[in-house]
Amino acid sequence: MPAKPAHGRVHLGARSLAWLEGFGGLVGLALLLEMAPRAGLVSPHYLPPFSAMIVALFEEMKSAVFWIALGATMRAWAIGFIISVATGTVIGILIGSSNILRMLTRSTIEFLRPIPSVALIPLAVLLFGSQIESTLILVVYASFWQVLIQVLYGVQDVDPVARETALSYGLGPWAQIRYVTWPTTLPYLMTGVRLAAAVSLILAVTSEVAIGSQGLGKEISDTQAGGAVAIMYAYVIVAGIIGVILNLLARALERWVLAWHPSMRLHIVEAGE
Amino acid sequence: MSFITRINMSILAAVISATLLGTMIDSVRAADKISVAVIPIADCAPIYLGKAKSFFLNHGLDVDLSTAGGGAMIIPGVLSGQVQMGFSNVTSLLIAQDKGLRFIGLAPGAASSGVRGQDFSAIIAPDDSPISSAKDFENKTIAVNTLNNIGDISIRAGVRAAGGDPAKVKFIEVPFPDVPPAISDHRLEAAWVVEPFLTIALSRGAKVVNWNLIEVAPKMMIAVYFTSEKYAKENPDIVKRFKAALIESLVYADAHPDEIRAIIPTFTRISPEIAAKITLPKWPAELNRQSTQVIADLALKDGMINKKANISALLP
Repeated sequence: MPAKPAHGRVHLGARSLAWLEGFGGLVGLALLLEMAPRAGLVSPHYLPPFSAMIVALFEEMKSAVFWIALGATMRAWAIGFIISVATGTVIGILIGSSNILRMLTRSTIEFLRPIPSVALIPLAVLLFGSQIESTLILVVYASFWQVLIQVLYGVQDVDPVARETALSYGLGPWAQIRYVTWPTTLPYLMTGVRLAAAVSLILAVTSEVAIGSQGLGKEISDTQAGGAVAIMYAYVIVAGIIGVILNLLARALERWVLAWHPSMRLHIVEAGE
Repeated sequence: MSFITRINMSILAAVISATLLGTMIDSVRAADKISVAVIPIADCAPIYLGKAKSFFLNHGLDVDLSTAGGGAMIIPGVLSGQVQMGFSNVTSLLIAQDKGLRFIGLAPGAASSGVRGQDFSAIIAPDDSPISSAKDFENKTIAVNTLNNIGDISIRAGVRAAGGDPAKVKFIEVPFPDVPPAISDHRLEAAWVVEPFLTIALSRGAKVVNWNLIEVAPKMMIAVYFTSEKYAKENPDIVKRFKAALIESLVYADAHPDEIRAIIPTFTRISPEIAAKITLPKWPAELNRQSTQVIADLALKDGMINKKANISALLP
């Protein structure tokens, strides 16, 4: 019988390969950004080589402006994300647990959900001007639905047999949520959390660009208005890096929270075979 | 010196220092806090310089300056009272007045020099374009940063002055920063642009076809600092002091272009090299009611406003 490699090693190998592939893609993109302006495909005045963007980024990182902007964006992201996840989870479980509530709210949710968050910019500006509250309106409006919809699906996915069993064992409503609804909903919720983490960042930066509230987005729009092209791209790169980091963190959180869940265990077994 | 005199002296000293301290505390306390929304462009440099020179503090005003992406964000801010004063394009205020919003212009924001070849605003075209005057704008598409504003008003005025038909000009919306690359790539036939993008575009294959603001009126006032009628009524003293400090700032700014060029990179992202080269706007001390009247008449003719503007209400 041919010797099978140990599970752990293959698992690690597959993962580092995936990392390598992802990293390779980024290097390729950086090379393309470096070569295109140098080869004259685009004007270096308006798309400077990648190296110029990186130099601008390191210059910018020496100034307080950069860190204040980064802090403001992360603050708006964190507050908006937490509000969305908390309200989406609670309201989702409440509505999902009741057939009547689900029917009563379905059309309202289907009407409100497709409204693009950016369509609320004029309203946000009228209410709060270019303060953080405006950003939060847009962030929460976009991310809340991501969480809510996932939680609603999760609650409906509860195994009827499990529900009946819980009922016949005389579990109260709270215990039912804790021992029946919650474990089923959690994987759905984690998907919602991952989506909300990304959507919150997108909307935070968008609203900073459009409304001019403090943050990376405002620096992007100010550098554009000042003709500081390389610095503008530097901020775009920073926004991208943060997006990648947040996604990695959200995935790590998902793996950690759902370590017990069959889907995650299956993952490991598959990777090992 | 006797003991008594010495006591008297120390009492006197104590009284004097207490009085001094008192006035100092008073002057700190008396500084009314106001927030002013401006745009991070060269036009707004005087208020930054005036703040740095303590002109506002000398009038008992502690001014907090915040920047917005454009006038569209500032007008609602002043209306709702989040900021007390703002910087806005005159045309936008005329349109707001036409819609029933009550604002009062306090002092000039920026004005055209009125001199062809030395203005901060122009209509440009690619170097090798056949367009050579405003008459050639007929049947062409010209980019402006915002439709239905001073951009298209001034371009139509130029076409009229050159004996052309302004109805034959088409407009599209392109933000100023996007104009230089679009012109050098011939993606636009012609475009309105202001500094610093005028200097940038001219160094990269563009030519000036028309000095558009000069077509509207001599030394046209393009922007003003303004507040809401409500705020002005409730706080006449603050408004009066703000106006006085602002006019001091404008006069100082107009006389000290080097200091203006030095302060521009501190509140905008314009680099010191470009700030040294751009054409600065003029900062007159007096509101230009005539040029505002001309803009209002043209806006009415072009259908941007529906009734005759009340210039004396907007610029009392």
